[in-house]
Amino acid sequence: MSEKLNQLSFIIGVFFILVALVLLIGYGTSSSLKHAINLYTGTAMMVFGLVMIKLKA
Amino acid sequence: MNLHFADYLVIFIYFVFVVAVGVIIKKKITSSNDFLNSNKSIPLWITSLAFISANLGAQEVLGMVASGAKYGIMTVHFYWVGAIFAMVFLGVFMMPFYYGSKARSVPEYLFLRFDEKTRALNALTFAAMTIFSSGISLYALAKLLEVILHWNFDLCIWIAAGIVMAYTLLGGLTSAVYNEVLQFFLIVLGLSPLVIVALQDAGGWDTIRTNLEPQLTHAWRYMGDADANPMGIHFMSLIFGLGFVMSFGYWCTDFLVVQRAMIAKNMSAAQRTPIIAAIPKMFMPLIVVLPGVIAIALTKSALDSGDYRIPTDATGGYDYTMTLPSLIAHYYPSGLLGVGITALIASFMSGMAGNVTAFNAVFTYDIYQAYFFKNKSDKHYLNVGKLVTLFGILFSIGTAYIAASFNNINDFLQLVFSFVNGPLFATFLLGMFWKRTTGHGAFWGLVAGTLAAAITHGLTIAEGKGGWISPMYPISSGMGQAFIVASFSWIANFFTTIAVSLVTKPKPDEELRGLVYSLTEKVYGTEKRWYLKPAPLGIILLVITILLNILFF
Repeated sequence: MSEKLNQLSFIIGVFFILVALVLLIGYGTSSSLKHAINLYTGTAMMVFGLVMIKLKA
Repeated sequence: MNLHFADYLVIFIYFVFVVAVGVIIKKKITSSNDFLNSNKSIPLWITSLAFISANLGAQEVLGMVASGAKYGIMTVHFYWVGAIFAMVFLGVFMMPFYYGSKARSVPEYLFLRFDEKTRALNALTFAAMTIFSSGISLYALAKLLEVILHWNFDLCIWIAAGIVMAYTLLGGLTSAVYNEVLQFFLIVLGLSPLVIVALQDAGGWDTIRTNLEPQLTHAWRYMGDADANPMGIHFMSLIFGLGFVMSFGYWCTDFLVVQRAMIAKNMSAAQRTPIIAAIPKMFMPLIVVLPGVIAIALTKSALDSGDYRIPTDATGGYDYTMTLPSLIAHYYPSGLLGVGITALIASFMSGMAGNVTAFNAVFTYDIYQAYFFKNKSDKHYLNVGKLVTLFGILFSIGTAYIAASFNNINDFLQLVFSFVNGPLFATFLLGMFWKRTTGHGAFWGLVAGTLAAAITHGLTIAEGKGGWISPMYPISSGMGQAFIVASFSWIANFFTTIAVSLVTKPKPDEELRGLVYSLTEKVYGTEKRWYLKPAPLGIILLVITILLNILFF
């Protein structure tokens, strides 16, 4: 794990997954966040985050 | 603009991550070289994205969106004329000297190639400029958050400065560079949805072209006559002033960006850093120019496609600087609003950290070590580097408050910056490609170039600025004036350097090996595959750039 933390792509990947989770969970649970753009952006960020992690995994 | 809990959460996650990067990097920092120069160990993809991100500060993001709204698609000239060519030139021709000379900074290269006084002049002006630039980024961030979110101005200044200080003090240049890459992705991914929804709202690009004046949707067509285009610039002024003097002066000599290439692992990676960076740079107008064009299209009543309008200022005119924040506020719902605000914060912090890390390297190596304490231990310089970072941040806070007191300090700084940076490329061009250039020639050339810039500014007037000697030559836009000032300063430097060099004694050839083109062994890289070589890559990028110019002619 400590080796992964030294990889920038892993850090960036985790960051975008967390942001994506905020958007996606918010979309599913809060009326204020229930906008299609949150869903699409959250999904795109999730995919990007996973790709960044996969790059160095 | 009111933020939801989710918006605050996104901002909080970002702050935690940028500081965490500093904490992770900290354990790798054992020498001054690690702290100030990243020990030349950073992979190519990171140096390339950091190279472009160091330039992707707030002035760039907010400023280019504002220019897109004000001048239309002509704003792409800052990319397709004013960046790509210089970045390719830096990679192919200049990086071998910067990297090969083992200089740790641009002023140190000037010392090796010329003499102490040329280094001192460049180091002192650069150090002062970076601190003021950093402070203005900080001021602009706090002001923006105060205006759009009604957050406390002082609190914003101290929190933003504290976070930048935390990660730059912990991890030095590596930490700043890593965060610049994170900030790059955040800015791109955070602002991309805005372009898509706003473009859709405006009815697509074809509708925008139909409804806007053609001067706003063509890059070159109206540049044959300075009075026929919104920038008020003739294409010759643009090509020489922006495309040559200002562009090469900035991208090829400004240590803030060149530093990102100098920390690459080897010569090949250092050369490819600005060339790889040119790829995203080429498409950056999609993120930072297009929103401005869309905003002005939406604002034009003929379109009537929505209720978005560019905000107005106290005089009733468009407040172009607020174009991007107003688009974010208009189109982003809670959640994504936090991402958009965080992208703006990231751009400000990226600009500030870039300036601070360039400042601490130049101050430590080119001022402190060069003139005060030459032969101290490495630990001593590491501690000094950290102390300089701390003071750099504190000075930035001070300049942020100075900026708050003077409403035109940013204009003033940009002006002084153009006086200093404008002529600099002539010094490097002659220094690297004409071995007869002397230290006296370089020094007096720089002085003459700066004086010529000041005199040209004093004799021209545009949008109420300049003309402080005598407003003899009116120019229709401030941007056109900047190009003309830069052009005269470059010409004055170029010919003064040549004249003084011809009557002063040059350095012997053996002292110039590795510093001058004709005396340096040509190394064409160890890469076997053509697509890893700087020159073929650069040629491909130049061809694409020319095609883009034709496409939006």
